[in-house]
Amino acid sequence: MNWQATLEFARGPFFYAALLFMLFGLAYRLVTVIGLGWSKDRVPDKGSKAAGVVKTFLKALLIWPFIPWVKNTFTKNPLIYIGGGLFHLALFTTLILGAPHMLVWKSLSGLSWPTLPLPIVDWMAAVGIIAMLMLLVNRRINPVLKLISGPAEYLSWLFVFLPMVTGYMMTHHLWFQYEVLYSLHMLSVDVMMIWIPLSRISHFIFYFFARAIHGAEFGKRGVAV
Amino acid sequence: MPEETIYQHMQGKGVSRRDFLKLSGLLAAAMGLTAVPPLEESGLPKEVVKGQAAQTQQMVARALETKQRLPVIWLNFQDCTGCTEAISRSVSPSLTNLVLNTLTIEYHETLSAATGFQLEQAKKDAMEKYAGKYVLVVEGSIPLDLDGAYCVIGGRTALDLLKEAAAGAAAIIATGNCASFGGLPKAKPNPTGAKGVWEIITDKPVVNISGCPAIPEATTGTIAHFAIFGALPELDGLHRPKAFYGKTIHDRCLRRPFYEAGKFAMSFDDEGAKEGWCLYKLGCKGPTTYSSCATIKWDEGLSFPIQSGHPCLGCTEPDFWDGGGFYQGQSAPLNRPTAVAAGAAVGAGVALGIGNALVNQAKKKAKGGEA
Repeated sequence: MNWQATLEFARGPFFYAALLFMLFGLAYRLVTVIGLGWSKDRVPDKGSKAAGVVKTFLKALLIWPFIPWVKNTFTKNPLIYIGGGLFHLALFTTLILGAPHMLVWKSLSGLSWPTLPLPIVDWMAAVGIIAMLMLLVNRRINPVLKLISGPAEYLSWLFVFLPMVTGYMMTHHLWFQYEVLYSLHMLSVDVMMIWIPLSRISHFIFYFFARAIHGAEFGKRGVAV
Repeated sequence: MPEETIYQHMQGKGVSRRDFLKLSGLLAAAMGLTAVPPLEESGLPKEVVKGQAAQTQQMVARALETKQRLPVIWLNFQDCTGCTEAISRSVSPSLTNLVLNTLTIEYHETLSAATGFQLEQAKKDAMEKYAGKYVLVVEGSIPLDLDGAYCVIGGRTALDLLKEAAAGAAAIIATGNCASFGGLPKAKPNPTGAKGVWEIITDKPVVNISGCPAIPEATTGTIAHFAIFGALPELDGLHRPKAFYGKTIHDRCLRRPFYEAGKFAMSFDDEGAKEGWCLYKLGCKGPTTYSSCATIKWDEGLSFPIQSGHPCLGCTEPDFWDGGGFYQGQSAPLNRPTAVAAGAAVGAGVALGIGNALVNQAKKKAKGGEA
């Protein structure tokens, strides 16, 4: 197998097509959901909707992550909370502050920024991979989670896990030649980008809309977010 | 003359036994011989072959003592003669001296004193005299479009000349990226239909010494390997000798610690560049480029591109001219959507979404729910 040609395909036309499909799919789903509309709410406002939105984001991003024990989601499911939190932290550290990934953003957007040294990114990547494995085991053990997990959940896990593990192997030159792992990394990234709008991984966009709607509802009723 | 052994020829030139053994050691090292390669086909005396534990230096010395000189025919096609330049100007004394003076280059357009019909006749004679024995070195790609009319020498196409010379060759060595993988002539849109040798000659062993130019020690080392062992060195998937193309530039780079530490030059004249930090963000292709530039280096081990402050272009890899911008980070995608293309994708999604939303609302109304 000609891995250089595979790599060229995965970095070139396949990446291009996958990226455009992801943009198309996310726009489509977002507009469809927003277009469903809201029921008319004739109750007079008890508070500011905008303030509710601002508060919910501030709390979700700046307060809850640092005092998680006050929340039921943490006390009842600490493993999911810690595993999920570490996974997201690791993911964003690697994707934004890893030098090779920054260069991808730079080539797409023209913007560049300083990056972290490789060993730090590397440890974060390892943390992310371990967290993902923990979450998978938990999903198989926890009876409720197991019951509500279908093929889509496991595919989502797989399509996120593959880029992470191939990226880690590639950095460490494990077992295969570099261009082989680089090809596999890019192929798995391309597949993931196609899968994103078809799956719940799209929460990285929808999260902000969902959170904003909840914040506005709470704000309107004058309830603590 | 080929009847005398390589050692006899060197003795004739006044090389002492001590210098000869030194050269043998150097050669063994330069060929990357850490262990003795398989020897069944090497045609060396039995006691040498049996003594597998023998030092590689002794092995090389013994081979040079017993082997006859190796005739080499060197063809130039769509090239810039840069690989010849690199070899003729390389100061590496042992290998280049061996190939240029001790082995017999029977035909080389650029280096020959004779020209025209006289030279063509010399080539013809050599090919007849050493049929089945000579090593064919090819420099430059071979154009196939317009029946090969893009490269014609003495009224004959490159393809024709290559096939003729390859027919009687014991082995073929393609030197430089052009002869190996098509090189610059093959860069998009490949106007001449250029190809590398191994895509055309499939019935003979072809070694690719890629690079732009090829590292002279890699070319001469491979020729020397064939002269000494009667067989080609171990090759990788792209037919490159593993001794010279086994590791990436990144693996052996003197700036690698800066990569690990996250210290990068961001432009060619910033503090990082002056401090000699990693050139990855300036487009270095070191991580995917297999070559020994970082170890053998150039000009008698003086320097190589990265040491001199320029990122690796990846010139030992196929199609490196089309492998993304030379100064663009190598992790960056090769095809980037323009703002228009991205906008069109989003726009199509939005339009389809609005359509879908309208249909949904119409359904809702039809059901009698509130709008």
